[in-house]
Amino acid sequence: MLRYILWRIAMMVPTLIMISILVFTIIELPPGDFFESHIEEMRAIGEKADMEEIEDLKARYGFDKPAPLRYIDWVTKFAMGDFGYSFEYRMPVADVVGDRVWLTVLVSTVTITLTWLIAFPIGIYSATHKYSWGDYGFTLLGLLGIAVPNFILALVMMYFANIWFGTSIGHLMDPSYINEPMSLAKFKSILEHLWIPVLIISTAGTAGMVRRVRANLMDELHKQYVMTARAKGLHPFRTLMKYPFRMSLNFFISDIGSILPSIISGAEITAVVLSLETTGPMLIRALQNQDMYLAGSFLMFLAILTVIGVLVSDIALAILDPRIRLQGGRTK
Amino acid sequence: MITRRSILALMAASTLARPAFAAAINDEPEALRDAVRAGKLPPMRERLPQVPRVISLEGPDLAPGRTGGKIRILVGNQRDIRYMPIYSYCRLIGFDRDFNFQPDILRDFEVERDRIFTLHLRPGHRWSDGSPFTAEDFRYVWDDMFHNKELHKGGMPNVLRVADKEPVFEVLDPVTVRYSWDDPNPDFLAELASPVATRLMQPSAYLKQFHPSYQTPEKLAELVAQQGVEDWVALHQKMSRSARPENPDLPTLDPWRNTTPPPSGYFVFERNPYFHRVDQNGQQLPYADTVTLSVGSGDLISAKTAAGESDLQLNNIDFSDYTFLKGAEERGVIKVDLWKRTQGSRTALIPNLNCTDLVWRNVFRDVRVRRALSLAINRDEINKAVFFGLGQPSANTVLPDSPLFKTRYRDAWAAFDPDQANALLDEVGLKRESPRGQRLLPDGRLCNLIIETTAETSYETDVLELVTDYFWRIGFRIFTHVAHRELFRQRIVNGETIMALWWGLDNGVPTADMSPRELAPTSNDQIQWPLWGLHELSGGGDGRPPETDEARMLLDLFHRWRLADTLEGRTAIWHQMLELFTQQVFTIGIVNSVLQPVAKNRRLRNVPEQALFGFDPTSYLGVYMPDTFWFEGDT
Repeated sequence: MLRYILWRIAMMVPTLIMISILVFTIIELPPGDFFESHIEEMRAIGEKADMEEIEDLKARYGFDKPAPLRYIDWVTKFAMGDFGYSFEYRMPVADVVGDRVWLTVLVSTVTITLTWLIAFPIGIYSATHKYSWGDYGFTLLGLLGIAVPNFILALVMMYFANIWFGTSIGHLMDPSYINEPMSLAKFKSILEHLWIPVLIISTAGTAGMVRRVRANLMDELHKQYVMTARAKGLHPFRTLMKYPFRMSLNFFISDIGSILPSIISGAEITAVVLSLETTGPMLIRALQNQDMYLAGSFLMFLAILTVIGVLVSDIALAILDPRIRLQGGRTK
Repeated sequence: MITRRSILALMAASTLARPAFAAAINDEPEALRDAVRAGKLPPMRERLPQVPRVISLEGPDLAPGRTGGKIRILVGNQRDIRYMPIYSYCRLIGFDRDFNFQPDILRDFEVERDRIFTLHLRPGHRWSDGSPFTAEDFRYVWDDMFHNKELHKGGMPNVLRVADKEPVFEVLDPVTVRYSWDDPNPDFLAELASPVATRLMQPSAYLKQFHPSYQTPEKLAELVAQQGVEDWVALHQKMSRSARPENPDLPTLDPWRNTTPPPSGYFVFERNPYFHRVDQNGQQLPYADTVTLSVGSGDLISAKTAAGESDLQLNNIDFSDYTFLKGAEERGVIKVDLWKRTQGSRTALIPNLNCTDLVWRNVFRDVRVRRALSLAINRDEINKAVFFGLGQPSANTVLPDSPLFKTRYRDAWAAFDPDQANALLDEVGLKRESPRGQRLLPDGRLCNLIIETTAETSYETDVLELVTDYFWRIGFRIFTHVAHRELFRQRIVNGETIMALWWGLDNGVPTADMSPRELAPTSNDQIQWPLWGLHELSGGGDGRPPETDEARMLLDLFHRWRLADTLEGRTAIWHQMLELFTQQVFTIGIVNSVLQPVAKNRRLRNVPEQALFGFDPTSYLGVYMPDTFWFEGDT
């Protein structure tokens, strides 16, 4: 086991190098660079671009150098903890991301927890009462949750929250609290705004999760060991929780790999629509503007979290289900 | 020429004028009262320059008001705090509402033969941190910024050069500076009054700490490290940036100063206690204590405005939001007015005379083709269908609000006459031989015209939809190609675009004193001739010189305008250029005088109900002086 883990950790390095090359290439692909899109945007409002400063930035950040050199420059600095400079914000990437990370973690953790809290009981109910009215009802709700695009739901809910409760449209708090240090009033304002994005983002996730819990659990329910346990007189609920439910959790554990990155990136589109002060909209803007160090560093973070997440879920799976062999094909 | 003696006389006169203000001048804005009482700020009388600028608020919808309150504005992007210096519109010399030059930060100025510009500051004028604003601040920019090889690698800003020569700069006394050129520089005043003016002065007392001539290397290195920049040049640039007021410590002369360092989703601009304007009662402006910009998704701005979350909204809303906003007016706290956009044309079809497709290029260089395309468009129908009939069908030219307007320019080749259009095209020899009546290009290809657009507003696609039918009648088939703005621009400069849908002249309400550069090939953003414009812009180093007589004539006229030293001379040249530009139909304008909704809080006074909306020359809101806007009722 330990050897396996060490091996996996060693493998992460080449994986990340491959990913960094991909990230860099993809960001380089569209024609033009940040400076061109910046000049265009200035022109859009009729402003004269400060050409001198732009030339200066170009030279300073090596945009006159060929791409491979810039890649090496970026990667080595990234490895040493310097995440580069955001041209859009004209400050180091680390400063730009700042507080947003915490708000994003808040939104995501609440959302993920809520998703689980709703999805598991419903999934278990649906599996044990399959083809009942309850099952059909939840299935219908679930399908609606998947079918309605999040951003539309966001718009509709924002409208009603504004009309009925007078909540300001979008954002995670009342704008006047944005620069304030955390206080009771600010926290209340966050709570007042938080439920909308949480509810919206969790609808789709919940629906998918219910279906997966239901399907996985149904596979297990009719297996022999369940019947044996029941025949021996174990309490039905205990039977359910201790054996088939545990077995059906495999999919959930392997999901952890994707949960980690989603905690810091969150549901981008919904966040854009709702103008949340999270990192998602920032990433999208960075990509649109070709603010490449900001976008690149961000994507690399997500990649690192994914790789770690996958490792964690592999280990957790092995612990949860002894039938899973870490050595894979070698034991055959 | 003003002498020291006349300044003293003026100063004396200003002290004599004081008593008129004396009664009201004690009326400190409430936001500052505590600071004044505690001795942290001098009283209003001492904060104002000796000769403040008096704004007379008299008129049908103008009234002097009272201080206090917060104006909330929504923006779509953090970098939109650059709107604040434009909205604030404090310039050495600014335009008034009728586009006359008006000393603003300056007490006075003199111009001799368009060559020698003497600028008189207001004695006792201070930056927002209380440091004096004097000729030293001009000298600092001149010597330590413009002439510093590291800060300004390219040397002096282009706008200050005439015939490639720099002016002579002199400090005559602490409140007088002079710029003199050998040749006339008629652009100079308009440049100073422009929405993003070249800064001739900076708060030197503050900035000297970032400059190696005034700072020890050790301290400078410490500051560089503290700000996370690479060297002192980047440090100086970062700390002195005024077009985007991101440094809360940088003193300003504007009515409000930023107090929020980025990154942030919410910027608070507080009143500048040393602002130089007063109303006729002697009350120091601005009236509103605070202006806040809150950053959110640009698409939500009209919804939020309707919900009453903005007190003054001009940007990020468009005419297509008007009915929605008007509906909100009935239940909400907002009021929506319509201003008139100053663009020469809201949408215009622009053939690229520099495109790489030789056949199309030659076709478009034939003026008969450009005229025919223009005649084929039913502007009236577009105006009714897309702009609710509220615009004005017109060629791409100046608006009636400009003193240079003539109906002849508006109507030049702008009638709807498909028969004449067809006749012109037949005359050119574009044969109609395809079975469906489509015309053929001289090389035998079908006339398939690809029109490129960014489709940033819904108008673009709506207009193109209608144009498709009009052009089919004259044997042209249209295809639309949508691209992101950057790609769109790049394709034009590379000559890949044959025709684009864009807007017309930026400044549709010029006076003869404003530069006619938009009418001649002077810049590479001009879609009809990007390469010719680039040639002029780069001083002949890049691009190509104009290849048609008319374009050459326009450029020649533009050069002559720069040398003309009388208003009559400049007016005559403007008319010659407008005549040529419209008769040649270099750009096919469709509709102008289109309306722009402006939403404001019902209680916000002094916001004009009818006004012009545009970047140049009105600075969006600037010439209407937002520092005079005030809240009626409780604040």
